[in-house]
Amino acid sequence: MAELFDRLADRQAAASRWYTDSTLAGVALGSIAVLVGATLLQVSFGAFPLTLGEAWGAVFDPRILFSLEAWRGFLLGADNPEWFTQQQHIVWNIRLPRILVGVLVGANLAVSGAIFQIITRNELASPYILGVSDGAGLVVLVVLTAFSEVLPLVPVLAAIGGGAAFLLVYVIAWKNGTSPVRLVLAGVIVGTVFGSVQRALFFFIDDLSTVMSAQAWLSGSLLNTDWAEVRIALPFTVLALALAFVVTKELDVLALGEETADSLGMPVEKMRFAVAGIAVLSTAAAIAVAGLIGFVGLIVPHMVRNVVGGDSRRLLLGCLFLGPALLVGADVGARLALNPIQLPVGIITGLVGGPYFLYLMRTTENLGEV
Amino acid sequence: MQDNEMPHKRASCGESTGAGPDATASRTALDADELVVGYPTADEPVIDGQTLAVPEGEVTALIGPNGSGKSTLLKGLSNRLEPEDGRVLLDGRRVDSFESKELARKLGRLSQQNTAPDTISVEELVERGRYPHQGFFESRTESDERAVNEAIAMAGVEHLRDREVGTLSGGQTQLVWIAMAIAQDTDVLLLDEPTTFLDPHHQLKVMQIVETLRDDSQMTVVLVLHDIAQAARYADNVVALKDGSMEARGPPEEVITKQLLADVFDIKATVIETEYGPQVVPIEPLDDDESQSSLSRSERTESRPDSPD
Repeated sequence: MAELFDRLADRQAAASRWYTDSTLAGVALGSIAVLVGATLLQVSFGAFPLTLGEAWGAVFDPRILFSLEAWRGFLLGADNPEWFTQQQHIVWNIRLPRILVGVLVGANLAVSGAIFQIITRNELASPYILGVSDGAGLVVLVVLTAFSEVLPLVPVLAAIGGGAAFLLVYVIAWKNGTSPVRLVLAGVIVGTVFGSVQRALFFFIDDLSTVMSAQAWLSGSLLNTDWAEVRIALPFTVLALALAFVVTKELDVLALGEETADSLGMPVEKMRFAVAGIAVLSTAAAIAVAGLIGFVGLIVPHMVRNVVGGDSRRLLLGCLFLGPALLVGADVGARLALNPIQLPVGIITGLVGGPYFLYLMRTTENLGEV
Repeated sequence: MQDNEMPHKRASCGESTGAGPDATASRTALDADELVVGYPTADEPVIDGQTLAVPEGEVTALIGPNGSGKSTLLKGLSNRLEPEDGRVLLDGRRVDSFESKELARKLGRLSQQNTAPDTISVEELVERGRYPHQGFFESRTESDERAVNEAIAMAGVEHLRDREVGTLSGGQTQLVWIAMAIAQDTDVLLLDEPTTFLDPHHQLKVMQIVETLRDDSQMTVVLVLHDIAQAARYADNVVALKDGSMEARGPPEEVITKQLLADVFDIKATVIETEYGPQVVPIEPLDDDESQSSLSRSERTESRPDSPD
């Protein structure tokens, strides 16, 4: 009898696990569909006229796909093979890397947003609210205007800037330990100050084209991204995301609040700090190549949580799929909607994100609690 | 502070065995010695030099008015608040000498107010209790699964297993949190006001779980209770606190008296002996000077009052 009961319970548990896994699979498949659709559009259309056949012929051109020389050019920064045709050049060096950068940036922003929301236990938290973006942004802006020779190191420098800003936020919020609310408030303060310094920097730039690129960067743009950006962001993205998935169990416990995490034997402050470090690195990798793209880190974790639930591993997995889909999708709009004018993608995410947030505010009673 | 009437012997070995309550009653699970606990923001400690021995395998209830230091004492016992002075021994070993996960495998604590993410399932929340048993790279093992199933069964929340935590009622939520604490599989469990704010049904359920934990799992339970009647009925030992010092302790029949209720709670009440232990019928509040007429403040903090009656 007991055995029967056990078996029933097992069956039931398996069914529920299947259900939650299937919602996660749904998020993943939906995201992949959006991503594929966006890729189709991005590769097929653009300022340079290519027929669909030409564009996709170039994408699946075995001469490139299986060419060690070409990949060395893409991933290691060597010169492109001389036999590249103009079509191949357009597709492989302009349109495809832009999508790839979008994927990396979207994944980073979504995952780091989810982590920040968990450690502050606040659904409104994001790298922006905690001052991380502004800190990293300030460093990138300084590099962009004054020290352009260290460009490949930008994610590291941005991570240092973001980390410094987060440290400052932590110090300001610290009063016998931190609390989510104080962290958010301190983040807003630090972010405001750093943002002001960023804008002040503009007055010291003489070169108009630098001003333009800095401006685009502040709005968050994938314009002119190519394999160089992929090379910058990829290693840091892989590292940060791998670490993030290692600490999902710790994230789950942190989400229960300080008291409970402590009673479960977790050194809360230390762990929160370490996990924040991972999120800062992830944010920095995104900001270094794409600038300040807002709302992705705020909305994506929220949407995923609504569908797959609050379990950290599933949440991060969902973010890993939906983040890129949203960002690359938004970039389609940014690039093609007002063709030939290209908008920064950050403007599109802001235009979409604002109303979504408003909708949330109206429909959710306890907005803010994770 | 003098020694109390509770048996007081150091535990010599770590693991609690499956011996019945009688065999283990002579040992103390948790030993507080001249404990001084306070909050970093306040100058004066809340608990100032209290000594307490918690008998192993029994239920000990802390009672006292608001602000008497019950929760603070509990936090001091679990090293959540680092004592300013004195020491706490768990199984004869200082609690602050444990590695944090190691302590969490022996000593569980459920605080008064807990917040979980609304969107995780009951099973997931209970599973979090296994955290101290898992290594950094380890994932859920078979023994984790077993402990989670047992905890869910023991707390009687089997039917809620797949529900999202945010959809539960207050009473159900509390049962689930207790299930999480059970899954932690500790020798000692500290519960801070587990029944406050619950309806009578869920209050009784919680107390039933506490009894089961003591009787079936030989767990030592220390809990803060606001309801004196509950303490009288379910606890093996009652400790009455006022202004951070222990006014009385011992079996409920000895501790819960008319005099103590006047001294500690500033209420006029009668105590009726029933088959469920002494029951309290509160009559009216006493003014501060009346209740303290029998003993001056300084005397009380220095020595335990004689057994009233």
